[in-house]
Amino acid sequence: MLRPSGRTAFFTIHPAPGLTRAQRRRASRDGPIAVAAARPHRQLLQAAGFTQVTETDFTAEFAATTRAWLRHWDAGHADLVDLLGEQAFADRQTDRRAQLRAIEDGILARSLLTARRPDDQHRGRAR
Amino acid sequence: MAWSRCVSTARYGICWVTWGLRAGGVRVTKAERAAAERFAERYRVAPAEVSRRVELAVIGGDWGANGYTTKQQADLLGRELGLGPGVRLLDLGAGRGWPGLYLAAATGCQVVLADVPIEALRAAAARARRELLAGRAAQVAASARALPFGRAVFDAIVHADVLC
Repeated sequence: MLRPSGRTAFFTIHPAPGLTRAQRRRASRDGPIAVAAARPHRQLLQAAGFTQVTETDFTAEFAATTRAWLRHWDAGHADLVDLLGEQAFADRQTDRRAQLRAIEDGILARSLLTARRPDDQHRGRAR
Repeated sequence: MAWSRCVSTARYGICWVTWGLRAGGVRVTKAERAAAERFAERYRVAPAEVSRRVELAVIGGDWGANGYTTKQQADLLGRELGLGPGVRLLDLGAGRGWPGLYLAAATGCQVVLADVPIEALRAAAARARRELLAGRAAQVAASARALPFGRAVFDAIVHADVLC
């Protein structure tokens, strides 16, 4: 789909590097749906032939945004309960608090990855 | 799928391509189907005023999004991808258009928004029409595991916390 020399850039939430098996399970449990990549995204991109792969840590920003969701949902409690119901509101906030704890404990991380598809004639050399 | 065909569908509706028991030869798993249904349920309801207010305060947008990509980070994606007029962007898991439709508006690029819940894509198509972006934005209902595009269609691909 991506033309030669085309670029991809994406944010992804993932288990922090170097976790034990139990910690990885916690990352899957407490993170968003499908925090389940078997290998680091950088490796996956390189294995797919992408070049100029960069990874920038955005975990601090991830924590700040999670805190902001918690804070602003609490501020809008009455309206959101009217909209969603008390149980759905409570469940959502509970999930966010568990996620925030996992971030603060170094279990969950978020990164910006960028990469370039090599020109077709250079594909062999890029690998 | 040719870009021109995708763009032409934007005027008439959404290009529904591959969702089914098998999507482009890839078997759809129970977990994928459950996730699709969960997201479809969420997208059936238009964002309420309180949701818009909170989203604006947290991520700086009003796209019915509830993730972690802020407006500042979406702008960073646009710069990293070198988006601008004439650039063809694919947004995977675009939901109601965040960040792909926003990037089309902000940079002048063309965009194809791909996602599974048709309800989200309908909302994105309606917003594209309202903001006079329909000529540069198309919606394709398809799983990221079985995308219907040909080779070398896009200059850039973006997603935000979709492939975790």
